[in-house]
Amino acid sequence: MIAENAALAFAWSYNDNDQEFSLKGSLRPQKSDELSLCMSELEGSVAKVSGKFYVNVRRLVRMNNVAFHALACKILDLVRERADLSIHVTTSSVVGWATRKFAVLEAVSDKITVSEYDSEFYPGQTFLEEGGFIPILRTQTKLTWHHERTLLADHGLKPDMEVADICCGIGDFAVLLQKEYRPARLVALDHSRSSLDYARKVAGEFGVRGIDYVFGDASEMLLESDQFDFVTCRHSLQVFDRPELILRELFRICKPGGRVYVTNEKNSHCLGEPRAETIQKTYNEVARLWAHFNMDIELGPKSRRYLIEAGFDDIRMESFMVTNRDGNPQDFADIIQSWENVYAGQMAVQRGDSEEEIRALRKGFQDHIFAALHPKGYAGWPVWVASGRKPA
Amino acid sequence: MPAPAEGVSAKSDMPQLLQMDLDIGDFCSDWSHCDLMSGYVARMVSHNRLDSVLFANLYSSALNELLETVFRVHGQTGTLQFSVQRQDNLDRVELVFPADDAIYGVYKDAVAKASHDNAETLYLEALFAETEPGPGLGLLELGVDYGARLSTDRHDDGRMCLIAELSLEGEKE
Repeated sequence: MIAENAALAFAWSYNDNDQEFSLKGSLRPQKSDELSLCMSELEGSVAKVSGKFYVNVRRLVRMNNVAFHALACKILDLVRERADLSIHVTTSSVVGWATRKFAVLEAVSDKITVSEYDSEFYPGQTFLEEGGFIPILRTQTKLTWHHERTLLADHGLKPDMEVADICCGIGDFAVLLQKEYRPARLVALDHSRSSLDYARKVAGEFGVRGIDYVFGDASEMLLESDQFDFVTCRHSLQVFDRPELILRELFRICKPGGRVYVTNEKNSHCLGEPRAETIQKTYNEVARLWAHFNMDIELGPKSRRYLIEAGFDDIRMESFMVTNRDGNPQDFADIIQSWENVYAGQMAVQRGDSEEEIRALRKGFQDHIFAALHPKGYAGWPVWVASGRKPA
Repeated sequence: MPAPAEGVSAKSDMPQLLQMDLDIGDFCSDWSHCDLMSGYVARMVSHNRLDSVLFANLYSSALNELLETVFRVHGQTGTLQFSVQRQDNLDRVELVFPADDAIYGVYKDAVAKASHDNAETLYLEALFAETEPGPGLGLLELGVDYGARLSTDRHDDGRMCLIAELSLEGEKE
């Protein structure tokens, strides 16, 4: 259901399967009876269930005290009236007021719990943040920038545009964008506070000004709709188990006529000579390993389909190969070594692989490094680039 | 001396970011003005914060409670003067609006409660009251949840001043 006026543009829905009542939008009524329909549907939903009932306010961006009074009192009444019922409220860490506001409910009833939804949507974030990945991310960006620097222009990026870099990670790509393309505005968003802290520190040290690093959930951003000419989201759709949710948001914040630019990989297409066979075997296994953690490292060539299904037109797509010939071969080798450390050293262990399986997995990475550093060798890591236009 | 909107506030030493003067009747002609004004001002003053989006969301929430309170409790005619100042991470919102002694008393009482040692208990009592929340609930929440320092001042011209000092950045960073 949807209610719509300037201060009261909100919607609610009930998911019977999850026993979850969700509220989203802006909830600033003048009087509580403006919420009576929503409250009676909440009551009706609760009447159908027993056990734990979920109230999801993750996408509730604004809420005044009139609305909070109505909702809080209703939730309290519901658990007091029903001995068999408990209620869990899920807030979002990217809406600053929400968790503090709802936390008072825990203080008045032990049948109400409140928690901040955070990392469950990002299965790979722990590996990437805790794997000592920062230096390697910088090297990866250095090598991919070698190609993307000019590709970005082919996909429509020009100076003075309003640009957003979503899932910006440690923010180094945003710095390169700022220097090369001089956008009128550059917002770089990520869901990792530690990465953003690092990004701000580096930008400060390098004297790069004008990048607005913001904390946010790419699947539910606080950024307003239709405001960016060019939106980038690199190597990230492949990390999410539901990339269509991210694309929906990228589409939303892009101006009509603007473009969304995504890059993704297909790791099973990594290659090298000599020792091609073991290299191939390892990267096929890497694809299965990522799938085990609900991530799709094979997403690259699927980007076109995803963009079309998200509503974009004028799709442009191509691929490039980062190789050991792009600069110092040791840089390429360092990237592969870091992949081995995280994929074989952490993810495979967590999946429960045997020592023998892990040894076999490591072999292909070491052979890839061997190929990269071999005087006559060739080693490659393919990346797919796709962009689509939001219809005007 | 520069005009207040260009220099420092007339009532504090803090640099002024923005000032708006509007007729209280016009402001109170439509409830959505609170939402629109808080959203607009929050966006205007957030661009250079550490995290502009988080800051704007928090600022808008806090300011909206102040504006909604004034919308509900104010004198009949006159000017609503609204200004915001900032010094480092301290933001100051100043609302000057028509108020007779009774109205001034309502604010003085609400601010005293929000500043009291047991403000949190008073907030919970007000929040879970059976009846519609009173005009002081928003101010109580500002004091308890946002750590706002609230104060009031009586003006000779039949108006009063409501001041909120907020430090919104740094808590979640």
